Amino acid sequence: MHRRGVGGELSPKNECAHLQNKYKHLSQFASKHKQEIHKSSQFRVQFQFCSRFSVSLTAGKGFCWQSQRLLEMLGVGDFYYELGVQIIEVCLALKHINGDERVHHQGRGKSAQNVKMTWWRAIKKLKAMENGFGVIPVGSSYLVQSVPAELNMDHTVVLQLAEKKGYISVSEIRESLKWERERVCHVLEHLLKEGLAWLDSQASGEPQYWLPALFSELTSLDVTPEEANQMTP
Amino acid sequence: MSFEWPWQYNFPPFFTLQPNVDTRQKQLAAWCSLALSYCRHHKLYTLDIMEVQESPVFNHKNIDRKLSTEAILIVFEELRKKGNLEWLDKNKTQCLVMWRRPEEWGKLIYQWVSRSAMVNSCNTFPPEFHGLEEWMLIRSLQALQTDGKAEVITMDDGKGVKFF
Repeated sequence: MHRRGVGGELSPKNECAHLQNKYKHLSQFASKHKQEIHKSSQFRVQFQFCSRFSVSLTAGKGFCWQSQRLLEMLGVGDFYYELGVQIIEVCLALKHINGDERVHHQGRGKSAQNVKMTWWRAIKKLKAMENGFGVIPVGSSYLVQSVPAELNMDHTVVLQLAEKKGYISVSEIRESLKWERERVCHVLEHLLKEGLAWLDSQASGEPQYWLPALFSELTSLDVTPEEANQMTP
Repeated sequence: MSFEWPWQYNFPPFFTLQPNVDTRQKQLAAWCSLALSYCRHHKLYTLDIMEVQESPVFNHKNIDRKLSTEAILIVFEELRKKGNLEWLDKNKTQCLVMWRRPEEWGKLIYQWVSRSAMVNSCNTFPPEFHGLEEWMLIRSLQALQTDGKAEVITMDDGKGVKFF
């Protein structure tokens, strides 16, 4: 079944098969428990805040991941955390192998649904869960978000650049990353849209984009949801 | 006790009207809160737009940022919608700031009065509310009057109020 190399690693082909199996098992599991999840009105109430989450294991009805704290509150923390961890492993590996972070799965039987998952976002969400509450790792620190954002590689790289001073400008990004202006602006627009960045148009020279979460003292993980919501856009 | 500035006050973008709608809402809420606390702390009831632009609240010299007139007017409009501000002129150059709305003052006054067991008797304005400008006080009493909890009476030596 699995042929392991000398270093204990699977060859890419077998790795892929191994992962596909794992993924199949996971999505079956999630499917099986979907009913329980949806039966709980508590889940539904909490998950209305998850609307920006894109990790959905069942099409149509979103099954949202929230922070581990929330899951712990609901008494299912460890369990789904475990599930999350496994999914993340699959995500990372598939992305590494296929270069594609998305997986489509055609369910069978009564759950004849498209199961779509954006692996990259799943990774982000899990990292958020690791730290307890809507926290996105950026370099060596974390952004506190009351509602986790949808971020891709470009966004993350820019956030990491901005982390040094707490703000960044278009030319600084272009100089560092050698990107086209349009690409830079696209990323900054998205960060503004997600509320991760605020615009400072009174900076000398050119506008600056500041990250409030890095600026304020709220990078501590003791922030309550209410505080984070108030302080961090 | 010196005024405590919120963290946003030292955050340069706070002084730029945010383009993102959701962020702007949070920004305006924070500005409203700051403006009201500042006025409360310094017991300011009337503001002149020209003067207020240069006040430390809207002009933070240390970080070389100031809120534009346009943005100040937007903040004040929010305050007006919430019942905390009233324009004194059509040109919007002067306004009344009610960091406590008349209804809230009215409630406080009534509570004070009830505690002092002065209900059902006539009294001149309580000295504890010294510093409260008369126009504000009268509005508060009018609010109580509307509620049926008080009646403002004109007497020989001034105004009095009867509480029910």
